[in-house]
Order: sequence, then C-alpha cells, then structure tokens
Amino acid sequence: MRKLSILVLLFGLATFAYPRLMSPRSFAERQQRPQIEAHTDRGIVGVKIAVPEFQVAAADPKADALTSTFNKVLWDDLDYSGVLTLVSRSFYPLGKFAQPGDIHVEDWTTPAVDAEFIAFGNTRVSGGRISVEARLWDLKNPQNREAIGKRYGSEDTEDGTRLVAHEFADAIVELIGGGIRGIAQTKIAYVSDRNGSKEVYVMDYDGNNSYPLTSYRSTALTPVWAPDGEKIAFTRMRTGAVGLEILSRIDRRSYPFQNPGGTTTTPAWSPDGSLLAFATSRDGSDTEIYVADWNGKNLRRLTVSKSVDISPVWNPKTGREIAFVSDRSGSAQIYIMDAEGTNVRRIIEEGGTAVNPAWSSDGQRIAFAWQKSRTSYFDIYVHDLATGKNDQLTQDSGNNERPTWAPDGRHLAFESTRSGTAQICSMLADGTKVRQITQTGKNTGPAWSQYIEH
Amino acid sequence: MTLFRRKDVVLLLLIVSVLMAASCKKRVAATPPPPPPPVAPAPPAPAPAITLRAQPATIERGQSSTLQWEARNAATVQIDPEVGQVAVTGNRQVNPTSSVTYTARATGPGGTATDNARVTVNVPPPPPPPPPAPPKTPDKTISQLFLENVHEIYFDYDKADIRPDEVAKLQNNATWLKQNASVRFTLEGHCDERGSEEYNLGLGDRRANAVKEFLLSQGLAASRINTVSYGEERPVCHEQNEDCYKRNRRAAFTMNP
Repeated sequence: MRKLSILVLLFGLATFAYPRLMSPRSFAERQQRPQIEAHTDRGIVGVKIAVPEFQVAAADPKADALTSTFNKVLWDDLDYSGVLTLVSRSFYPLGKFAQPGDIHVEDWTTPAVDAEFIAFGNTRVSGGRISVEARLWDLKNPQNREAIGKRYGSEDTEDGTRLVAHEFADAIVELIGGGIRGIAQTKIAYVSDRNGSKEVYVMDYDGNNSYPLTSYRSTALTPVWAPDGEKIAFTRMRTGAVGLEILSRIDRRSYPFQNPGGTTTTPAWSPDGSLLAFATSRDGSDTEIYVADWNGKNLRRLTVSKSVDISPVWNPKTGREIAFVSDRSGSAQIYIMDAEGTNVRRIIEEGGTAVNPAWSSDGQRIAFAWQKSRTSYFDIYVHDLATGKNDQLTQDSGNNERPTWAPDGRHLAFESTRSGTAQICSMLADGTKVRQITQTGKNTGPAWSQYIEH
Repeated sequence: MTLFRRKDVVLLLLIVSVLMAASCKKRVAATPPPPPPPVAPAPPAPAPAITLRAQPATIERGQSSTLQWEARNAATVQIDPEVGQVAVTGNRQVNPTSSVTYTARATGPGGTATDNARVTVNVPPPPPPPPPAPPKTPDKTISQLFLENVHEIYFDYDKADIRPDEVAKLQNNATWLKQNASVRFTLEGHCDERGSEEYNLGLGDRRANAVKEFLLSQGLAASRINTVSYGEERPVCHEQNEDCYKRNRRAAFTMNP
C-alpha cells in the first residue's frame, strides 16, 4: 500500500504542473525570518496564512465527507502548529478557491485579510483513492509565487484523508514555520483503562486512530518510544513479578528483554536506540537506576543510594546525561547524572515533590511535574538548564502530570484531571493551545514519538 | 412308495452331510477325524466325547467370558463350578471374579468324558492410595493458617519505615513463618494513589524490602522471600479519603504455590 501511494505520488508530481517548487532551505533563507521558537514566551505571532476550504473537483459519493475531513484536519494541524497565525475565514473574499485562476492576490493582501501565504486546492475521489491538488502560495512574492504545488494521494478513507492532510500541513510548517518539521504525523503512546485493565495504546498526535498495543488484562504502564518510532518499551505487571517488555507498534511483535530480577520499571531509550536505562530493585532494599543493552544484557548499575531512584530519561541531544527522580533528600526530586552514574546533581533547589522529568529534544529544557506542597496539585513546569529558571505551564486545573515532549520541542503532552478523570492533553510549550485529545476511560502516561517516517 | 424312498434317501444324505460338517469342525482339534461311522446300524453305546472352550480365555475383572461346549454320544452335560446341567451343545456367558477352571462332564450310555477350560481373571492394580488426601489437608490448613497468622503491615504516607505500632504484628508474622519453614511467600509493596505513579512503584518496592529486611534480621532465609511492588495499581480500597489511603499503604503477604 505504501509503495502504491509512493507511485501515485510520483505520478502526481510528474503530471501536476507547478511552476517553481522552492527547496525549503532556499525559501527559508529568502524569507530571512528569525527562527521562531515557542519557548515559554507567550503571544508569539506566527506567519499569517489564509486557508480557504479545498473544493471537490469531481462528484463522488464519498467526496463531500472526505473533503470536509481534509479541511478540518488541515486547519487544526496548521492552527495547532503554534508557528502560524490562521486568518479567520470570515475575512476571506467570497468564492471558491480550487485553482490558481481562482486566486486574486490583491483580495488576500488587503488590510482585512492581510495574509502572507495562502494554502488552497481541490480534491478528487475515484478508484478507491483520494487525490488532493494542494498549493501554498507566497502572496508577497510575485517572482516565486508557488512555494508548494503537489498532488497528495491516499486510499479514500477517513484515515487516508487524515494522512494526506497531515502530510500537506507538515510540508507547510517545515517551509514557513522556522525550518522545524511539523509533528502532524507523529504518534503518542499512552495507558488507558477504557476496556477494564490498564493497557498501552497508540494514537495519532491529535488523538485519532487510537488502538491498543497490549491486551494483558493485567497492568501495563510507562510506555516509551525507541528512536526508530517502531518499538515501544513499557512496564508490565504480572502476579508476583513486575518487569519490562518491548513490542512493535506496527505488528505487536515482541522483542526479547532479559529482566534482571526484582521489580523493574520505567524504561528509557538512549538517543541512539542501543541502550535502555530503567529502575530495578534486583539488589534488594530499593530501586536503583541501571543501564543495559536494549535486550537486557550487559547490565550496569548507575546509582548507589538508599532511596527510591526511578524514572530515568536521557539527554536526547547528547546521550551523555541521565535525569531521574530520587527521594534521597527526603522527598522526590529531580537529579541529573552523567551517563556513567557520576556527577549527580539536583536541578530544582526549591522543595515539594518534583517528578516525571522529560528532556526536550534540543537538550536545553526539562519539563516535569511539581507539587510544591503536600496539599497542592501537581502542575507542569519547564526547567531551563542554562538559566535554572522554572516556568509554570499549567495552573488551577486539577493535577497535571507526566509531560512528554513532541520531537519539534514546541509541544508537550501530559495527563490532566481538569475534566474529572485523568485525560491526555497537549499544549504548546508556552502553556497555550491546550486541547484534550482522549475522552473515554482514564488515560495516563503519554509518551510522544520521534518523527515517524511513513 | 418310490416317493417315500426318495425322501428317505434325501434324509439320509442330509444326516451324512451334517455328520461330515461335524467331523470337519473336529478337525480343528488337530486329530484326524475317524472315517464316518456306517450310518445304518449304529454301534451299541459308543463312548461320549466333549470339548469345552472359554472365549476369551483371559479377562479383566468385571468382564465376561463365553464358555462353548459340544458333546457327542452324551445324554447329559454338567459344567462346574456354578454353571450346572446344560444342553449337550451350547454356550454360556460367565463372570468369574477370579481365575477359575471350568470342567464339563458329558455322560451317556457309553460312559463319561470330561474337558477343561480355564478362564484367567486379571485383577486390576489397587487404586493408588489417596496420598492427595493427607498432604492436601495440611496444605489447605497451611494456607488457612497463613491467612490467619500472617497479616498486612501498614505504613505512613510516603514512608517505608516499619511503624513502631506495626512491629509487634510483624514480629508475630516472623514467628509463624519461622515455625513453618517450608512456606515460601511474596511480599507485595503497595501505595495509596497520591504521589506520582512511577515514584509509587519505587516506594512500594521500599516497603516490601523494609519488611523483607526485618524478616531476614529474624533469621528467615532470603530464598523463601520474593518481593514485588505494585505501586498504586492494586488498591484494596477505592475511595479518596484517609481511611482508604491508610489501608492501601501496605506490605501484603501472599503464599507462593
């Protein structure tokens, strides 16, 4: 199927007339915009883009519904990217905008609309496929008007249509969003009890396409992604034993992992995918951080402390440091050590309970959950390693725990009790654009994938 | 007249063929048959003959065997034991409960003849003595005793130290476990739902291991003790109040099979 879609794509590329397709780099250079990073600054104004609805080019029983899906998903992806400002459709000129001839640039650059870019096109459903002719125009640049002109194709299903919209959205974000890839095709693993016991599930980054990875009817916890975007490691509870498992998210194939004995939990992949760090009580007394090859061999102990040491996470940029949680000071706090176990230092000097460290892909920031006093709720904070500053991202909305970074470093997912039972939410890394992406059952422990190559 | 004679001839031929058939059967007994006796004047009082067989000759207790006999020149046939007087030729199903030799005695004007047939009865091996019963009863008792004598140990919030008010109970657990040295068991560490899920996995581990260390200090063998942490995943009480929380912060003992 993938081969087929590539063929269709190539065919579309070859036959679809587009004047100039700029390479992302030259385009970014020409734009000379400062790189926009959704750090923890609020009120970022991104590039202004108009996105009139894509039009049905040929009548088909499925065309209306699928085109409607395409339009909604494209809009949400671009809006949620955090680096674009979508001009409201109520300001657009009247008409249908399916072809280059339908666009009068001056109508879109008036003060009322004032868009810098416009994304438009049309859809065609036939022979079991949906084909989308999609264009991105640079309204301010008559010399290089067409930034993207491409035909996207997939099977004529809701899921196939969503994928096509995600692909186009990611291409737009990468081109005009500061050169960082879009995340519309990434996935989130999480734990849900919607069918009784806690199982690991996988869903699209926007909450769609969810499916169970495990069905142990016991308890599965703390899923994490291997950098390859395929393998997921997690904690599995059995009668009298708790250890790690590794499954493929694609075919649920099990990869062998030799558990070291004792209660073994909270795995974390090294950025090159060769090692797993985890917590185990194999030596008795309490949990310590260990590292091993990802099959469990070549076990090495990293921490030595009469306390709980748990929740390791690697610096994804360097792979040379590991953050973890320890209550060696009396309450749970976040520490960093070198990957050999040396040079342990606490990163948040204030009190309370600080848990769930999540290291951003640029290695600069650690998101975590902080309960400042025993009676307060957990909230999501981001610790800047260079400045030592802690920015609060959530407040007054129940317990907010277990942040996980999207690979763009601009988004976080987390679990929140703001709507009652725990649900997965996502937001920009400045705390804005919070949206709840799970609905049914109790949903916890999100883990955002790396970029997934389709 | 001639018609009658013909009839007689037919009858005669019939008798001859029956006798030949009988002699054919006898050939099975491996002795060459004597030439058929002249038909018309039977010799005075020939000696009787009898054959007796049991089919099958070997049975399991509870099964049956069939005796078959055939006598010639006999007026009566008596089979012992149990069967008694029977027809000259026939068969009879028998159900001996132990091996037995049947004797058939044919009596006729010419004297008597006997034949024997043995039926061997295999007695099935005695049912295995019920060893499940003796061990089973104590086994059940042991798990009952385990439940009655070994109790959960409770902990303070976010703590894994053995509370002073739990020491006596744990001491009693240790005493019983020492007296029942064959019992192997798992210590499960549990937490209430507050605090982070991952941290609670570690905290439950500390609770299980704190109890284990106490038991080791009392002289129990480490090899008898498995520990596991279920964190906050296996609460016994599901409400969100301190009454519930304190019951969930526990180290539970389960006997290993």
